[in-house]
Amino acid sequence: MNDSPRFGKGVKLRRDPDGSTMLLVPEGALVLNGVAAVALELVDGTHSMAQIVEAVVDRFEVAPERAREDLQTLFGRLTQRGFLQ
Amino acid sequence: MTPRPLSILCELTYRCNLQCPYCYNPIALSEYRDELSTAQWRRVLLDASALGVVQAHFSGGEPTLRADLPELVETAAGAGLYTNLITQGTFLDDDALDELIGRGLDHVQISIQAPAAAAADRIAGTTVHEKKLQALRRVRERDVALTLNCVLHRQNHDAIGEVIALAERLRITRLELANVQFYGWAYRNRTALMPTLEQVRHAEAIVEAARERLRGRMEIVYVLPDYFGDFPKPCMNGWGSQFLTVTPNGDVLPCPAAAAIGDLRFENVRSRPLGVIWQSSEAFERFRGTAWMPEPCRSCDRRELDWGGCRCQAFLLTGDAAATDPACSLSPHHAIVTALREEASPAEPIPRRA
Repeated sequence: MNDSPRFGKGVKLRRDPDGSTMLLVPEGALVLNGVAAVALELVDGTHSMAQIVEAVVDRFEVAPERAREDLQTLFGRLTQRGFLQ
Repeated sequence: MTPRPLSILCELTYRCNLQCPYCYNPIALSEYRDELSTAQWRRVLLDASALGVVQAHFSGGEPTLRADLPELVETAAGAGLYTNLITQGTFLDDDALDELIGRGLDHVQISIQAPAAAAADRIAGTTVHEKKLQALRRVRERDVALTLNCVLHRQNHDAIGEVIALAERLRITRLELANVQFYGWAYRNRTALMPTLEQVRHAEAIVEAARERLRGRMEIVYVLPDYFGDFPKPCMNGWGSQFLTVTPNGDVLPCPAAAAIGDLRFENVRSRPLGVIWQSSEAFERFRGTAWMPEPCRSCDRRELDWGGCRCQAFLLTGDAAATDPACSLSPHHAIVTALREEASPAEPIPRRA
């Protein structure tokens, strides 16, 4: 995983008028929970993993350690599938 | 409450320069020559977006035969839809590709017929394999997602290992190997296309090993032939639940093969808005949910996993679209499928033609 992750080819975030967020990928759509939505909003190749963790800690009641672990798991899975690089 | 559709398949035209005998397009191709105009397709895309659709798939026939494809991609992308082009690739030169990507194309799927030119061109009925390889290389170098597709059937099944090797050489990151599904021309050619049990088992082992070896480098999507499984495919994840298809002339179908169901009448976007058709047309309402199900589906624990299987297959094989899909081992008609499996014949398939 890159320290400043960006989306793989053909992967994009979509915000619905009703406030929900989806990750659109080749032949699929993943509905994101609030934490994942906030984190992936910052995926643009410039924000570092540390900044993304910080943004999540600011927004949600979660310990920094826990947020870092959870986000690393999530981003690792998305990287494995080619959705992040 | 009517569910929210997520995905629309726009079959822009059934015209195609290839003659693949496994094509799922309807046999009666000439009934679809009166194609929707650009303005009508744009209206379809905007209406789909208003219904909540997030993905637009452009297919056919060969969708790049429509000169207005770039404009339609732009309309879809502008409405916030994810855009996917399903093509055989022979018209994707540098200019065409740059134009489509510039208008917002997100994903290209290019199909090959076999890993080597002689076999591939024989299946396609024309000389196209080399052009497809060029198109694959062109797409790969650009900022757009790429999937390589190969439909598997008895004529090319033994070459599955070579298809994966070709994908590796081309540095493909997403490979879709789908066993032929028997609708339209493929249904007509089913005895010539049906893989043997040995082929299916052999392929499973090869795919399993390749997935392990290529983990993190190539995603391999392998679609099992449902004639060889215990349970049927979940029909469109529920009929009228997530998907809709618009045919070249504007008919709105719950599934791309639904025209096969002889007694189902489809409404057309030329006479009613897409949203009304989705919400209340007879074709969408008939098999929505689970209330229409007969036994053994009605009381089955899997009824909201399989959704009774495929309505089109049920109709083609039993004459009753409301029957349990005979591909299900619990279907009272399952013997039809086991007999078809054994019916594999060495005959050559009939090429698709208009």
